[in-house]
Amino acid sequence: MTAEILEILFIILTALIMAYLIRHFTFTLTVLNHAYKRKKIAPTKNTVFQPTISILIPARNEERVIGRILQRMTELTYPRNKMQVIVIDDGSTDSTGKITEEYAEAYTCIKVIHRKQWEGGQGKASALNTGMKLAKGEIIFCFDADYYPQRDIIERLAKEFADPKVGAVQGRVTVLNEPLNLVTRLVALERTGGYRVDQQARDRLGLVTQFGGTVGGLRRDLLESLGGWDESILAEDTDLTFRVYLAGYKIRYVNDAECYEEAVESWRDYWKQRHRWAEGHMKCAFKHSFKFLKSSSLGLKEKIDGLLLLNVYFMPILVLFSWIIGVPLFFLRSSQWFRILWASIPFSLYSFVGNFAPFFEVGIGTYLDGRNRAQWLIPLLIFTFLYNILICTKAFVDLLVSKITGKNNNHWERTVHSGNGNSYIWN
Amino acid sequence: MELKQNLKKIRMIPNPTPTMFVILIFGFSTLIFLMLLPALFELRRPKDAGPRKIMDGILAVQQFQLGRIISLVNVEEEKLGLDQVLVKKLADIIAFLPNLEA
Repeated sequence: MTAEILEILFIILTALIMAYLIRHFTFTLTVLNHAYKRKKIAPTKNTVFQPTISILIPARNEERVIGRILQRMTELTYPRNKMQVIVIDDGSTDSTGKITEEYAEAYTCIKVIHRKQWEGGQGKASALNTGMKLAKGEIIFCFDADYYPQRDIIERLAKEFADPKVGAVQGRVTVLNEPLNLVTRLVALERTGGYRVDQQARDRLGLVTQFGGTVGGLRRDLLESLGGWDESILAEDTDLTFRVYLAGYKIRYVNDAECYEEAVESWRDYWKQRHRWAEGHMKCAFKHSFKFLKSSSLGLKEKIDGLLLLNVYFMPILVLFSWIIGVPLFFLRSSQWFRILWASIPFSLYSFVGNFAPFFEVGIGTYLDGRNRAQWLIPLLIFTFLYNILICTKAFVDLLVSKITGKNNNHWERTVHSGNGNSYIWN
Repeated sequence: MELKQNLKKIRMIPNPTPTMFVILIFGFSTLIFLMLLPALFELRRPKDAGPRKIMDGILAVQQFQLGRIISLVNVEEEKLGLDQVLVKKLADIIAFLPNLEA
């Protein structure tokens, strides 16, 4: 009897793993097909749509990187009279406030909000909501303090808002400090698969494109009608993504609007960052899954993809679970068809190695970027995959404990930025 | 009853011998080593040109596109005569110029 229950569970898990495998494989083929169809150089889109914009940059103890992005803001090619930059100094104890003030004095388009130390440190969503009060632009863009965009990124992103159905837009994130060590190299590979293939395919197929909370923008009126960023959720970007879709808008991904980021540089920081993402994402799954299914403004394919996206951080745990029950079942139940199902192990490896952009997505992403040598590192993604199983399991346990005890564990573990990426920009 | 049947099934699996274990462990280790070998080479002596260069402004994008045209022609050079290559290269550059004005 126990074996039968386990077998049914195993079948369900295998079906779920297969669903993700098919999804990622479809994404990869879509992007590859699109790349091959572009035999001629794609003509540059001449759409000119330049609304007024406000750029929000939340910063807490970012003295090593804040000057870099502010300098870049002054170099953007977007018309200066339509642009406003708001830095939210989130109760910094280092010289972040001083550096931002110097820029605000030199450039009229840069404004600074200084939050007191007791006000700061409540998370990115809280800082962004504070910045939003001062924002006057029709579109609100967000950049993290460690980011460094290309000069014409705003033109490339803003033109998408010419379509009134577009509620938000997302650009591509590229790792700046990639050559630093193994962690940064692997994060760079994950980013390549996640943006170059995953996000682009979702955009092309009309599925749920994700707003990443940085290197992107939203309509201010939409954001205000949604009540701004939800401060109770650690993955405020995912939460906003689903609220935008539920409000009947779409999110576009622009692959040629690129921005550098400084990736985490140690396994410890990787754990902190991914744990925050996983816990926040799981909360979003509980919050939005049912609403998304019921929504009348969404099509079937959007609903299916949205559910798969919402629940993606549960999958490493389910993969682990399928392995654990699969081994005893293999010996206890030896029917032929069950042995075929046991193939869920290679399926799950095939589908998930490389965190949430599987290795074949990463491979195609690096190939399309013309970086064949970087592909040599792909087998090492097995380590991030195994590490993510632990991270997601811990995040799930923490979430369960907080639900049971009623304590909202919403502490924002800030990623420390060392400024090591500066050398790659200045040289 | 079910347990007895299951035990029978388990007995159907051949008894593992020490030699089998050694072969299995050696084979598996070799497989993992071979799988990771290219990664070890790349980590020891990186030849990848990373980090990826972002397109820095409109001019940079168009220079990139121009570079692509020339490199595409270079690929075909072996099949075409030198004068044909030059004519094709010039034709592509001229065709590209209106795009620069846009």
